[in-house]
Amino acid sequence: MQRLYVGGLSHTITQKDLKDRFGKFGQVEDVELRTRKDDEGVPYKTFSYININITDADLKKCMTVLNKSKWKGGTLQIETAKESFLHRLAEERQMAEQQRLLPPAAEDQKQKMLDSLSKAGVENFTMKAAVPGTEVPGHEDWVVSKFGRVLPVLQLKCQKGSRARTLKYDPSKYSHNIRKLDRPSADQSASDLPTPVSQLTWELQGGDDDISKKRRGEFPAYEPPKRKKSRTDAVNLLKAEGKPRLKQSVDSVALTEAPQVTNGHKPPSAVRPAQRKGPPLTLSDIDSDDEIHKIVAVQSSSHNALQQEEDEDKLEVVGLDYLVTPGRARQQQKGGDEEENDYDSADTDELLASRKPPPPRSSSPPPQERPTLTAGNISGNNTDRKRKTKKKSKAEEEEDDSTDAEEPSTQKRQTKKQSKKMKVLPVVKPSSSESESDDDEEEEECESADSSSDSDYEAMFSNVTRLEISLADLQKLAEEFQDTSETTAPSSLSVSEQETKPPKKGTTPEEILAALMEDDSSEEEEQQPKKKKKKRKADATTQLLPAFKGTKALNEGSETEEGQKEEEEGEGTEVKKLKVDHKATSSKMNGQKHTETESSEDEEEDEEEEEEEPKKKKAVVKNMAEKAESVSSSSSDEEEEEEEEQENKGKVFKTMAKKAQKESSFSSDEDEEEEEVPKANQNVLPSKAAAASSSSSSSEEDEDEILPAKDAVKAAPPPAPHSESSSSEEEEEEEEKQAPLRVPLGAKEEEERQRKANIRRLAAVQQRQKETEENKKLIQGALANLDAPAAGAGKHIVFGSDDEDDEEADSDDEQQTTSEIKTPKKTLFQDSQSEDEAPGHKNTSTKEKLSGTHLFGSSEEEEDADEEEDGSRFDIRPEFEGRAGHKLMELQSRFGKDERFKMDSRFLEQNEDKEEESEKKKSGTEEEEALEEERKKSLSILQSVLGISQHTSSSSKATSKAKTFRDVSALHYDPSREEHAAFETKTEETKKESKAARRKKREEAQKLPEVSKEIYYDVSGDLKAVFGLTKEEEEEDAVAVAEKEETNWDQEEEKKKEQEEAGEQVEQPSLESSLPSAEKEEASGFKFSFFGDDVETGSGETAEYKIESIQAPKLSWQQDPRFHDSSSDEEEEKGQEEEEKTQSNVIAKIEETPTKTGLFFFYPEDSRLTEGPKLFCRSSQLEEQKEQWEERRTELRQEYRKKHKDARRKLKTSVKS
Amino acid sequence: MRPLTEEETKVMFEKLSKYIGDNIKLLVDRPDGSYCFRLHNERVYYMSEKILKLATNISRDKLVSVGTCFGKFTKSIKFRLHITALDFLAPYAKFKVWVKPGQEQSFLYGNHVLKSGLGRITENTMQYQGVVVYSMTDVPLGFGVAAKTTQECRRVDPMSIVVFHQADVGEFIRNEDTLT
Repeated sequence: MQRLYVGGLSHTITQKDLKDRFGKFGQVEDVELRTRKDDEGVPYKTFSYININITDADLKKCMTVLNKSKWKGGTLQIETAKESFLHRLAEERQMAEQQRLLPPAAEDQKQKMLDSLSKAGVENFTMKAAVPGTEVPGHEDWVVSKFGRVLPVLQLKCQKGSRARTLKYDPSKYSHNIRKLDRPSADQSASDLPTPVSQLTWELQGGDDDISKKRRGEFPAYEPPKRKKSRTDAVNLLKAEGKPRLKQSVDSVALTEAPQVTNGHKPPSAVRPAQRKGPPLTLSDIDSDDEIHKIVAVQSSSHNALQQEEDEDKLEVVGLDYLVTPGRARQQQKGGDEEENDYDSADTDELLASRKPPPPRSSSPPPQERPTLTAGNISGNNTDRKRKTKKKSKAEEEEDDSTDAEEPSTQKRQTKKQSKKMKVLPVVKPSSSESESDDDEEEEECESADSSSDSDYEAMFSNVTRLEISLADLQKLAEEFQDTSETTAPSSLSVSEQETKPPKKGTTPEEILAALMEDDSSEEEEQQPKKKKKKRKADATTQLLPAFKGTKALNEGSETEEGQKEEEEGEGTEVKKLKVDHKATSSKMNGQKHTETESSEDEEEDEEEEEEEPKKKKAVVKNMAEKAESVSSSSSDEEEEEEEEQENKGKVFKTMAKKAQKESSFSSDEDEEEEEVPKANQNVLPSKAAAASSSSSSSEEDEDEILPAKDAVKAAPPPAPHSESSSSEEEEEEEEKQAPLRVPLGAKEEEERQRKANIRRLAAVQQRQKETEENKKLIQGALANLDAPAAGAGKHIVFGSDDEDDEEADSDDEQQTTSEIKTPKKTLFQDSQSEDEAPGHKNTSTKEKLSGTHLFGSSEEEEDADEEEDGSRFDIRPEFEGRAGHKLMELQSRFGKDERFKMDSRFLEQNEDKEEESEKKKSGTEEEEALEEERKKSLSILQSVLGISQHTSSSSKATSKAKTFRDVSALHYDPSREEHAAFETKTEETKKESKAARRKKREEAQKLPEVSKEIYYDVSGDLKAVFGLTKEEEEEDAVAVAEKEETNWDQEEEKKKEQEEAGEQVEQPSLESSLPSAEKEEASGFKFSFFGDDVETGSGETAEYKIESIQAPKLSWQQDPRFHDSSSDEEEEKGQEEEEKTQSNVIAKIEETPTKTGLFFFYPEDSRLTEGPKLFCRSSQLEEQKEQWEERRTELRQEYRKKHKDARRKLKTSVKS
Repeated sequence: MRPLTEEETKVMFEKLSKYIGDNIKLLVDRPDGSYCFRLHNERVYYMSEKILKLATNISRDKLVSVGTCFGKFTKSIKFRLHITALDFLAPYAKFKVWVKPGQEQSFLYGNHVLKSGLGRITENTMQYQGVVVYSMTDVPLGFGVAAKTTQECRRVDPMSIVVFHQADVGEFIRNEDTLT
């Protein structure tokens, strides 16, 4: 099959033509016709490929025939062509298929060679037993080499220099270096087997040292070089060192943070130690000290850095409205103080108090015991206890007395006292609930606590400082105290003060007081039955309360002392003082509850001691003289008098028989005591009664001293202090009196009196017993409801012992009032006492009436009197009524309510008063005015300083009124209101005016150059003469101009609004509130109606030209405009008025109808109008004028010519040169 | 003892206003009675009218102090606030700075407040604004002048001064003899 190319065909030829034409020579299988076309699509070449089965001869024939023959307008050109690629491809593929099917010839060759080699005796390219170098038979180019291996001889082409030559490499000749690598045989041991590379271990044995490690490929973690004090490094280091360190730092940070919150000063101190501690703990792996040090340093610095960072983060920015809470601060501070006591210089007391452990005492009475016991129980217990205690006390007393008796009277006071103290103390100890047996203690405590609830108890003890002081401590303290007391009374004071302080720490005094009161009331109630029992037994009373035992013991001690005292009478007062001190101490130790009150009492006592000493002496002197005087005699100290009287006469002048009885009984008691009869305790009852009735102390000190004790015992704690105080006061007084009194007193008298008193006492005792029986019943009944009335009952003694009040009541009305006045000035506790008194009074009295008991029977009458007093006490004394009265009171209070300086109404001078008052008023008002002015001034200055307008209040009250809420949105115009009228007009005006003003300004600005001066002066000349001279006007001008200049018109508007507001809020006083608002309105109205006025009045010139005189705002620039406004406004106002007046006058003079016509520039008969037309008329003859003109003309001509010539000449010369 | 002149008042108020702004009017115009400023020994005392009256009983040369001393006028008629005025500045202060506990002492010894000791600051404090210095427990310690604005305070390095010291309560001890 041939493929022919036929070219040069005409375009019209078809495949069929070609087939037909070539069909003659062979079988045409396929005709492929192609036409080439140019760009326009015009065929320019046509050719075809023909596949034809043709023989070579036919092909030649065909070629000769058809080649270069012309056919259908074209010359045929026939050539044999390559096979069609498709055809070829098919053929190739076919060939490949065929080849694949055919066995590969090369392999055959190889195989052949191998076969031939094997034939030649070669096995696996080895020929055994062959001398190296021998050729393999049958193969020339294969040689046997070492070990019988058959290797090919190689023809190596090597190019040395320019010519190439072939080298024959015969392996047999180079075979020496060939080694035999034997394959491991199967029988070889496994150990000899070479391990694969992947399984090779590369393990190197070695020590732990660095080199071996490195050999092993273990390198330590990379540590970057440390640079000192570089923050980042430090941080890195921290990180590198791992978690523990980080934690540490975090901890320390936390540390710093926490204390900052709680306590101001800790953090720095807390941080440092933590840091220092940290490293050694965490960095155990670091070897050398140096390293550690370094690290520490780094850490600290880094820590600082950290902190700093933190700080930066922490920097708080607070809004303006951040509230400072000092309260919180206080609290925190407090906390801090508590935490670190040494931090602030608190009082030692506080320190003590804070240091003291929680009161251990409270634990001693178990709560089970404490709960309120039934009456029966109580009574039973009480009796038992009483017995016990009685015995004890008796024994103690005896001891004391004996010792005292033994003591030589000549002993020095100090030593005595000390010894006494020592003796007393043991007494105190057992009595103060720390007795030998725990049981006793508990019981007693129970009694003391009795019905008080736990909370009360705790509250009570929370106040107490020395509660937990041990016996030894107490003793020591007592001794110390004695010493101090001996030396100085004030020291005791201070001590007592110390005592008073502790309550501060915990609860408020009021709370404490309340707690105490409750306690006491309840206790009292329970005590009352006890009292009855006491009466029966007459002894046991004192033991009831441990607190009071101490006092009692002390009293006993003091009694003994007194016994001695009688021997050494001269020393009386001092001793007493000391005693008082003793008491203070003892009470301190014992009566934990009453520490505060006692201390206050002590203070009082001391004071009173000092005060009363002169008084008493006086009184004594008096007494001697005026024995016949009645009880209600004018002497202020009734009590004293009474005492004296009693002492002196043996019998008393007192009106009340009972009192006398009691007193006598007292005396008997006293005797008994002195005799040291075991019964002595019976005294308690009468003495108590006496105390309650506030009978003014018996004739002898002993009694008195017992009294307080008893009072204390009887009275529940709150009254107790009171009673104690009063009693102690009494004591002092009496004692002090005694010293002088004793001297005059005869021994006989005393004896007599005592006897009588004893008799009376006995009678009284019997009576008492009956009464107590009754009482008991009543009280048991009353015990059902323990609350209020009982409390009242508790105060009974308070009242009774409150001698002063009674005295005052009896002696003088005024005094009462003074006392009333006084009370508030007293200490808190006294205050409360006095307050309590009133209700206490009533309660007690009512109770008495109800029960009909004579518990305090002897005092009944007195109490009645007291009641009356009570009633009248709260009436305002006539002298103190009204203004004058008030003044009097003030006058009195100026002297500290000292009785000596008491003043009655006589001291008030009526006339003077008024004058003074008026004077005062005058001066006051003047001063006030001055101050007010000053304030205003300063406010105005403040304004100028701050540059703000402040409508502050001239007076706060006014502002408070004025500052009522104003809803701006709800603000609307109410035509009915006058204020709003101002409001209304202004808004419109302002706008118009402002516009007008603007226009005017503009006009002015344009006009200024245009307006000729002549006109200006002409027109305004006379007006200026009129107005320009007045000072006000000038100022006004200046101000107006200044305003204009300073404030552009919108600001003006604002201002105006402000002012309108001001006008509207008439009542709101502004800084310059001195100006009435109306004026202001006017002022404001004037201020901006400058042009408006002009417009209205039509006197345009004045205004206009005034404005044009914008020269110098003389003053305004250096003064604050606002400040100036107020003053200038006034002036302006005046100015305006004047102006108006003058205007009218002047205008009336100059022109008849000046304002009405409303011409803007000209008014009729204006001078300008009259003068103006003249300018248009000829003044002289025409000829003359002509002549003149000609003359002038010639002159001018000549001149011109001359000038011309000159000019020319000059030109020439200039050209020449 | 005399009332302040206008100029003096102005100078003083200008100084005061740096610390308490327009709260001065609360000092001048008090609801609880009339209070006034008085000049005595070149010192300005702030006192109530009552005390003023009482003080008139004491001769001028014997009078050491009345009311509260706010400060004194220098010879060049400048006003120096004293620490005694702190009681009145602190409650009305507009701008405050709280000092960390660590720097409290430093400040109380008369040193400036550094950034590191700055615990808290009122926002928008301007430079050279008078500020009252508090401890973190809100106890006023003194006053000074802000050396940096609040924004700058955030940025500056820890050792830079933030508040210039003017007066601190430590002066009560240090200047015991001169304070009145």
